[in-house]
Amino acid sequence: MDSTDFHKLLLSRGTFFCYSGLLSEEVLSAISSIVREQVTDIDHDEGLTTRVFGIFIEQTQNIIRYSEERLAQGGIGTVAIGHSSDGFIVEAINPMKAEKAGSLKANLEELQKMDSKELRKAYKQRLREGPPEGSKGAGLGFIEIARKSSKFEFDFVESPDLLFVLKAWIVP
Amino acid sequence: MHLEATNRTPEVTISDTSLELKGECYPEDISAFAEPILELLAEKLEACDSYFVSLELRYFNSSSAKFFFDFFEVLEEAAADGKNVSIEWRYRSTDNSMKEAGEDFEEDMEEADYQLVEIS
Repeated sequence: MDSTDFHKLLLSRGTFFCYSGLLSEEVLSAISSIVREQVTDIDHDEGLTTRVFGIFIEQTQNIIRYSEERLAQGGIGTVAIGHSSDGFIVEAINPMKAEKAGSLKANLEELQKMDSKELRKAYKQRLREGPPEGSKGAGLGFIEIARKSSKFEFDFVESPDLLFVLKAWIVP
Repeated sequence: MHLEATNRTPEVTISDTSLELKGECYPEDISAFAEPILELLAEKLEACDSYFVSLELRYFNSSSAKFFFDFFEVLEEAAADGKNVSIEWRYRSTDNSMKEAGEDFEEDMEEADYQLVEIS
């Protein structure tokens, strides 16, 4: 694929923001206001755009904290936001350790089955109990993504190292 | 104590009788942001008879949710100790996310007076 194909590919799939490479808190500080502006320019529904922005932040901080490919400042990965007539999609891809995939899959499948009331309960329970072992934040990121998205899907792709792919749709 | 807002942290004003927090909250380092605020709030609550808290957030991330949980716990404990604590959670009428977040926290508040306030 040459550069123009790459450019056209992003346009054709409605991807208006894409960052690939080292993600750190410094990088996030530099791009977050711009992302927010772009999202609010596309849609004026503040509730909707806050959800899109919130999921973008959680997905980006997941890469910063948990990507298996790391530098001192953060983790390597890709985060992208797209828009179509259906709504927004936030996508994140990062390398991960194969032995962690099983528990992550079980955790995410459990969240996928929950309705909004159950997600709220899970969120509050996690807040009270504090972060689980191995968490570098509040342990709420995936619950937050499940709550704020209309739906989300994930995949583990061997290429050849294991890549974790998380896609969240936000529709009005 | 007064902290100017940044693109990732809210404006914070803490006086002897009130605390006001307004803006975005997804700090680079949540502990560095949260600890001085929680510490000073505890001091002010100890010394006061009544305390007023106003929160007007546009967005906070999940790491900050833990800070707010701890923050409300400090207020709730002070109220349980007999302090007159009132809290306003202000949200914009167009912003369902922040309304829901305010309702999430409201559930745990029993002793302190907690009001959801819709602003335009």
